[in-house]
Parts: sequence; C-alpha cells; structure tokens
Amino acid sequence: MIRNLLFRRPDWTVFIVTSLVCLSLILLERRAQERVVWFLQHTVLAPAEFAAGWVERGVGVYWENGRLRQRVATLQMEVDAMRAERGENARLRRLLALDQRHPFALVAADVSGRSLDRLGGSLTLDKGEEEGVTANRAILTPEGLVGRVERATAHQARVLTILHRDCAVAARVARTRVEGVIRWNFGDQPTLHLLYVSSQEDVKPGDLVVTSGQGGIFPEGIRIGTVDRVALEPNGLMKEIVVTTAVDFRGLEQVLVYTPGTAEGVAPPDLLEEEAPADSLAAPAPDSAAASAVPASIGATTAPPTGTVAP
Amino acid sequence: MKLIRDSMVLLVVLSLQATLLYRIEIGGIRPDLLVAFVVYFGWMRGPIPGTLGGFGVGLLQDMDASGPLGMNALAKSVVGFLVARAGFRVHRSNVGVRFAFFFAALLVHDILYYAVATGGDGGEFVKQMFVKALPTALYTAVATLLLLGVAERFTRRRLLTDET
Repeated sequence: MIRNLLFRRPDWTVFIVTSLVCLSLILLERRAQERVVWFLQHTVLAPAEFAAGWVERGVGVYWENGRLRQRVATLQMEVDAMRAERGENARLRRLLALDQRHPFALVAADVSGRSLDRLGGSLTLDKGEEEGVTANRAILTPEGLVGRVERATAHQARVLTILHRDCAVAARVARTRVEGVIRWNFGDQPTLHLLYVSSQEDVKPGDLVVTSGQGGIFPEGIRIGTVDRVALEPNGLMKEIVVTTAVDFRGLEQVLVYTPGTAEGVAPPDLLEEEAPADSLAAPAPDSAAASAVPASIGATTAPPTGTVAP
Repeated sequence: MKLIRDSMVLLVVLSLQATLLYRIEIGGIRPDLLVAFVVYFGWMRGPIPGTLGGFGVGLLQDMDASGPLGMNALAKSVVGFLVARAGFRVHRSNVGVRFAFFFAALLVHDILYYAVATGGDGGEFVKQMFVKALPTALYTAVATLLLLGVAERFTRRRLLTDET
C-alpha cells in the first residue's frame, strides 16, 4: 500500500510527508524550535542575507553619500553648539556638586519593515551597525519600551519587540518595586505577562510596570505598560499578571535606539516621565535638585536611571 | 522562465507584506498576500509545487513569527495542496472564480492557523474566526484581485491563466 502511494500518488506522498514535518515542528519543545530556527537562519537564509547585505552596501552607497554629506554639515553645527552647552552644563554641575551620570545616546530610526507573520513580533529598522545600532541595544519610543535589536547589518537591524516570545525583559512594578520578568505569552489570548511574582506581593490593576535594569540590555526605569488584570495562578503560589503595553505597536513608524556609553548623546525632552506615585516604595532620588536639573531621565521611578544624560 | 516569474512575484509579495501593507490596515486587519501567493502558486503549478511552496513560504514566515514553529508551514502546505487539487478544472481567468478561490483558501488557512494558535480553546477559536479570519479573508481576496488586475494590465498578460 505504501509503495502504491509512493509511486502512483506522489502528490499525496509529498503532502503527507510535509504535513508530518510541520506537525513535528509544532510539537517540538520551545528550545528545540529555537535551535531549528537558528540552524535555518545560519544555513538556508545566510546566503540570502549575505547577498542582500552586499546589494544594500553596493547600491545604496552612492545615493546615501550625497544625503549624508548634507546631513553631516548640519549636524556638525549642532554638535559645536551642544559642545559649548555641555561645557557650561559641566561647570554648573560642579558648582552644584551634582554627580556625573552615565552617558548615552539615542539614535532615531525608521521602521522599514514588519513581521511577515500575522501575530507580529519583529520589526526591521533602517539603521545598522554603521550608525551604532548593534545587537542587544534597547529600542524605545517616548511612550515606552519597544524591544531589543536581535541582529544588525551595516544599515539595517532586526528588532524583537516585547510582543515576541524570545524577548523577555526584567521588570518591576513602579509603585511597590516588586520584580518579575515580562514575557509575551502565546496562549488562548496572546498577552504580555509579568511572571515570577509571588502571590504575597502587592500588585494592583493600574500599576505602572517599568524595566528593572537587571540583565544589562534594557536601562532601568523605562515604561513597559500598566497592569491590566491580576489573578492567582492555579497552583496558588504565583500571581498571574497581565500587562497592557504603553506603546501602540500597530502605528509604530519611528523608534529610538538606546546606545549606552556614548558621550555625544542627548536625550529628547519628551522622554521625561511623570513623578512616581506618592506611596512609592522606591528609594528617593539622591537630590531633588538633581532630578529637576536633569532633563533627560527616562522612566517613571523616582530612582535615577543607570544611564540617563550626557555629561 | 516560470521559476523566474514566480520568484519575482514572491519577492514583490514579501516586500509588500513587510513594508507597505500595514499602511492599509483597517481596524487591525490587513491583507495576507503570502497566502494569496501560495494559492496562486498551487493553482498554477500543481499539487507538489503547491505543497512544497506553501511549506517553504510558511516556514519563512514561522522563522519571523512569535508563535510555534510550523504553524504557518502547516496551514500553507495544506492550502497549496488543496487549491491545486480543487482548482484543476476551473476557469482561473474568471473574476468570480478567482474571488471564491482566494476567499475559501484564506478561510481554510485561518481555520488551521487559529486552531493551532488558540491551542484548542473552542470559544477563542470561534471568536478569532469572526473577528480576524473572515475580515482578513475578505480583505485579502479583494486586495489580491485588485493587485492581479493591475499586474495583468501592466504586463499585458494573464498571471492566472487556464493554461498549465
């Protein structure tokens, strides 16, 4: 019968084999699925990515060159003005005895492509390694956290948003500083969950969830979203916390790439967040004058973010 | 020649799906041109290329997806195969037949897709079928017919013909 099927009905044979392969892939454990994806990306897709990168570098360079020359001239003037302001800022800081903050820069990038899948989860940016956008950089908007760079070529980068299963974020509840991990849950209703929060902890709907800064990829204090629902897991040990994202991912066209350790950077003033709630258990800012004098703190906690402003 | 033409069509569809289609999103619903490509491919090239093409396109989509690996590959393989089997003796140049085929194929695709995506939750599955699948199928069928019309006028030849 099998021989009959193989030779007389090759279309059915191909169909059955293909379906079985698909079902096997679906039933694989997540780790194994990630290994398969990694293997395919580094074997089947690698030549295509290499060719695309080569075309992108070769064809795009002439068109890009003229545009960049103009941009460099404009930016140089801005940099000169900012250097003067930075010097003045440093002098004033010394006068006020304020501590120096870790430097960072934000690189603006346009969303040039979106996930092919209906559920979304990834973006392509029009900036790459040559613009300082490398793997594991945090991606933000003034509204909050978008995700992280998965990989980058010379002028493009692929971003895993927080709505992707491979993008987990160390997070905390701003009001009570309860820590957990934000992860997109692919279940009955795809939602963002704050995981590993004990049933004893104080978390309520409406609480603001921000990054905790642990893990080293995402800077501390960036808004992720607000708690939508809180329930107990069936085992009664952990809380089941559903979080609504601060960023509207459907209308996302421009993002900011966080590049820590870049002294030339400036933060746009619209990244300023509101004050934390009065009953916050967060440690108070070391100096209230410092908080008001620094116009670039990202996040909503009262504690200053680890990387906030250019010195 | 057919291979080159199909590769070109796939390249255009991939580019459109990744870049421009979100701009014509209506209420969170946007056309799924990759399914439409699988329908076109299966319809024109037969069951084996249809199944394998659906598998390849689906796997490519799965590598970029948040859901389980193989979900798109399974749905598109089945669509590629079924369209090729069912569409063997119909008039592909007829607009009504085209619409019916694209619409039905999209629904079959989404039944499989959401059956896996909802993990067996019947209520959620029905909800997704009404809220997402039906509007997407309708929107995709209309958008595909429009695109096909433009492409056929532009190239002055029928992309979906009764010839094989």
